[in-house]
Amino acid sequence: MSHLIVLDNEAVQALSDPSHKKHVHVLSQVQMVAGRKSRDLSVTVVVPTAVRVEAGWDRTVPAWAFLNGLRIGDITLDGRNANIAASIRQGARVSVADAHIGAVIQAATATKVTVITSDPEDIRRVAADKEVNVVSI
Amino acid sequence: MIEVLDLESRMLPTACTTKLWYASAMDVMQAVDRINELLDSDMGQTSNTSMRIPTALRDAAAIAVRELGVAPSTTALTAAALRTRLEAAVMQAVLDDHFRQYPETRPSLGDLAVAAAELDSHPLAGEPARIRQAALEVEARHPDAEPEDVLLWAEARALPAS
Repeated sequence: MSHLIVLDNEAVQALSDPSHKKHVHVLSQVQMVAGRKSRDLSVTVVVPTAVRVEAGWDRTVPAWAFLNGLRIGDITLDGRNANIAASIRQGARVSVADAHIGAVIQAATATKVTVITSDPEDIRRVAADKEVNVVSI
Repeated sequence: MIEVLDLESRMLPTACTTKLWYASAMDVMQAVDRINELLDSDMGQTSNTSMRIPTALRDAAAIAVRELGVAPSTTALTAAALRTRLEAAVMQAVLDDHFRQYPETRPSLGDLAVAAAELDSHPLAGEPARIRQAALEVEARHPDAEPEDVLLWAEARALPAS
């Protein structure tokens, strides 16, 4: 079983700031991922690059060293994802970042997809009929 | 040849010195950065290694690849397992460093159990207070309990008494 965990803008903000009121909540999720990886379970944490833009996460800036070190992978907005995201944005009337999250969900091949988000309703809308585990922060 | 062997015998003490070498050359976070760079770099380049693994493990891996289809090859299986363990080690080192800097952010057993429930779509995921209470009860008797132990206890406590 493979598990893909997607972060939204607020999850990124919470994780990056130790004083954020949701920091420990998101950090707990990441700690669980590290523990499961150490047991050879297939768990991957990713951030869609449009979310990274919205969050201001520039990987070359030292302030983001903590998140860079956690091996949170980029999912780029390539041509294929852009097509899916454009369709989602038109249909669901969501932000570009949320549309990109929707594209990631819809294109995912993982057995399970979880999105950590402050906006569970939008995530359910962009997921459409694809099954997704929404963790509300 | 004798000179070379003599030189090697002086350079290579019997005990492994890897840790000492790293301690003198780079700190843990520098090592993490370097490992991350390497994990993100081109994986197309390969090397033969002199790494020795138990013969039985090698044979078991070959059977798993051939008969169970767990990976395209034993090399791919070994590389994937190594990558997963390295990623876990790096993540934990980064988290440990963060907890050293901000000890107040270290999640409690209850926090981790709630996170586990959320990631697993556990039936009690929407009842964090119940999970946190279970964590307190489990931790009082089993200080080394895992988040999954807490969820099992919380689930058992949630069952109606017969």
